Amino acid sequence: MSTTLETGHCFAADLGGTKLAAAMADARGEIVAELTEPTDRRGGAFVAEQIAVCADKLAQSVGIDATQVRHVMVGVPGAIDPLTGRISLTPNVVGLEGFDVLGYLRGRFGADVLIENDVNLAMLGEQALGCASHCRNAAFLALGTGAGLGLLIDGSLFRGARGSAGEIADLPIGRDPTWQIGSATGAFELEVGSLAIVDRYRRQGGGGAAVTVRDIFTLLEEGDEVAAVVLDVTARWVALAIATLQSLLDLELIVLGGSIGVRPELYERVRRALPALFSRPVAIEPSRLGDRAGLIGAVCAAAQALRQNRAPAQHALHLS
Amino acid sequence: MLSQPMTSVTRQLSRRSVFEALLHRSPISRADLAKVTGLSKQTTSEVIDAFDQQGLVRPVGRTSGNVGRTAVLYELSPEGGHVLGIDLGARLTVALADIAGRVLAEADEATDSRGGAWALDQIARLAGRLARDNHTHPSRIHSIVLATPGVVNPKSGAIEMAPNITGLGNLNVVGLLGEKLGSPVAIENDINLALLGEIWHGCAQNVANVAFLALGTGVGLGLYVNGQLVRGVNGAAGEIGYLPIGGDPLQAESRLQGCLEYQVGAHGIVRRYREAGGSDVDSARQVFERAQAGDARAMGVIEETARLTGLAAATVVATVDPQLVVLGGSVGARPDFADQVARVLSRIATRPVEIRASTLGKRAGVVGALSVALNKLHDELFGVADLAAALPLPPPRAQ
Repeated sequence: MSTTLETGHCFAADLGGTKLAAAMADARGEIVAELTEPTDRRGGAFVAEQIAVCADKLAQSVGIDATQVRHVMVGVPGAIDPLTGRISLTPNVVGLEGFDVLGYLRGRFGADVLIENDVNLAMLGEQALGCASHCRNAAFLALGTGAGLGLLIDGSLFRGARGSAGEIADLPIGRDPTWQIGSATGAFELEVGSLAIVDRYRRQGGGGAAVTVRDIFTLLEEGDEVAAVVLDVTARWVALAIATLQSLLDLELIVLGGSIGVRPELYERVRRALPALFSRPVAIEPSRLGDRAGLIGAVCAAAQALRQNRAPAQHALHLS
Repeated sequence: MLSQPMTSVTRQLSRRSVFEALLHRSPISRADLAKVTGLSKQTTSEVIDAFDQQGLVRPVGRTSGNVGRTAVLYELSPEGGHVLGIDLGARLTVALADIAGRVLAEADEATDSRGGAWALDQIARLAGRLARDNHTHPSRIHSIVLATPGVVNPKSGAIEMAPNITGLGNLNVVGLLGEKLGSPVAIENDINLALLGEIWHGCAQNVANVAFLALGTGVGLGLYVNGQLVRGVNGAAGEIGYLPIGGDPLQAESRLQGCLEYQVGAHGIVRRYREAGGSDVDSARQVFERAQAGDARAMGVIEETARLTGLAAATVVATVDPQLVVLGGSVGARPDFADQVARVLSRIATRPVEIRASTLGKRAGVVGALSVALNKLHDELFGVADLAAALPLPPPRAQ
C-alpha cells in the first residue's frame, strides 16, 4: 500500500497513433505502475474511454481507489486551441478533431484534467529528467510517422497564438509547396515522415523486403548501400530543418526524438550534415528518454500540478 | 482618521500608480487620480505635490463642471525628463521625446558613408541640434536607445554581423556614444525595435504574438511572443538571411550572404532583374517602379520575391504560430507587395494568418527605440523591486 495516500496520485497518458502509454504516479512524480496497449483504432470517443479505462486498471493494480487520482495529464498528437481546447492537426488518430476529449475526460475523472501536445510533453520530460536539464531555450524535434516540435522559450513551453507552434509537418523544406498546392501532407513530412523514407528506399531501387523504416535500419546494419543513401538524404532534410530553427530561434539545444529521430544512425548523419548548412555551431543530442519522453513529461507535469495543489490554467500562456 | 505612515515600498508603489494614471489619463484632477489609483485623497495629494516640486507635473487648466467648485487638471510636464531614440542604418534617424512619450522633434539624413567614428560623431551632432532646437538641455536626456542592424552580443555588448555599416565591429559603441551624449546608451537590434515600434504606435497594437519580417538591403525577423522579444541564446534569433529558401544552401553565394538574402535582399532583386534581361537599374525601388509600369520582367522578379518571402513567412508560421505577421523594411513595407505575399501564404499555409504592411515604414525603428528608452526612464524613476514588468506606455495621440 502506498504511503502517499493522503497526498493523492496523478495519472498520465501519452496517446500515439499506434500505442497508448499510461502511468500512475505518486505526488513526488514516482511512477508506481505503468502500461502500454495498442491505440483503439476506432478513434474518437473510444480512445478517450480507453484512456479512462487505463487509469482504472492502473489504480486497481496498485490498490488505490480511482477517486484518489487528483490530477490527469494526457498528451495528444495534435495542436490544442488555447481558447476552446479543441484538437486539430491529428492525422494519426481518427475522430479526435471533432471530439471534445477534454470534456469527456473531465466528466469521466473526478479530477483536474489537462491535455497537452505530446511533443511539448516530451520536451518537458527531457527538461525534467533528460538531456535538456540545463536549458531555458530548447526544442524537441520528434521524427516518426510524422514530424513535430516542442519548444521551450525562456524556460516555459511555447505554444503559439493558436496552440500550433511547432506543427512543422508543413515547413516549406523539401518539395516546394508553392508548386504542390493541395497536398494534404506537409512539405517537410513528405521528405522525412516514415512513409516518405520507405518510399524513397523503393524509388532508389533498394532490394530486400523493406516495408518499414525499422527494416531499412536493419538493412543498413547488414551493409545495404541503398539504405545508407536513403538515410543520408533524410538526414540532410532534417539538418535543413534544424538550420531553419536555429535561424529563427537561436536555441541552446535541439533534442532529436521520436522512433526515427532517436536512432543513432540518423543522429550521426544529421550531426555530420549540419556544419555545411549552418555557419554557427549547433548543439544537438538524441533524446535520453527515448519513446518514454512524452509519458515522463506528462507525469512530471501532472505531479507538479498535484504538488502545487492546483491545475495550472490549462493554456495560460501569460502565466507560469 | 490617522493615516498610516507610508513605508518606502508603499510610497514607491503609490508614486508609480499615480505616475501611471498621469501617463494614461491626463489631463486629470487630484480627485480622479485618487479614484483611478484607489489611493486616499491625502496620499494622492502628497504624491502630486512631490511630483510638482520635482517638475514632473504641471497644471493645464480646470475641470468645467456645471456644479460646485472646479478642480485643477494635471498632466506630466515635458520638463520631467527626455529620451532619445536613434536608428542607425543606411539613413540615420534621431528622435527626441518627453517623459509622456510625446515626440518633440525628429531628424533624418544619410548616414556618413565613412561609418565607424564618423557615424557616431554624426549622431552626436544631430542629437545636439534636436536638443538645442527644442531648448532641451542635454542633461535632461536621461535615456538613450540606439537601433542598429546586426546582432548585439548580450555578453560582450559588441555589435556583430552588421556588414552594411562599416567600422562598427571594432568600436566600443556603447562607451563612445555614451561619452559623446552624456547619458548611458543601450543598443538593440533594429528589427526588434521596429517590431516594438509597430506594437507601440503601428499596426501591431495589442497583439501578444507578432512576427516582423523585414525586407530591405538585408532580411531579418523580429519575434515577439507572449509579450516578450525572442533574442536567442547568442542574440542571433531572427537572422533569417540564411534560411535555406530560394536556392542551394551549399552554393558559395548562399554560404557567404545567406541563401534567402541572396535572392530577396535588395541586391538580389536588382541582380535577378538584370539576369532576366532587364535594362540597367540601380535599386530595388526601380524594379518595383518598372513592375508597376507593366514591365513583364520586373513583374516576374517581384512575383518571385513575393513567393520566396511567402515561403519564409510559412516557415515562421509553422514554427512559432504568430497571430500577426508584419512586413517591414523598404521593400517589405510596400502595401502592394504585402498583398502579394499574403496571397502566396494563403495558398500554402494550412493555418490562415494575417499579414499587414508596416504602418510606420522607415520610422518603425526609431519609434521602437523611443519606446524602450521610455521604459528605461520610467523604470529608473518608478521601478519597484520584484515588480519586473515595465509600465505600459500610453497609446499614440495627436501631438
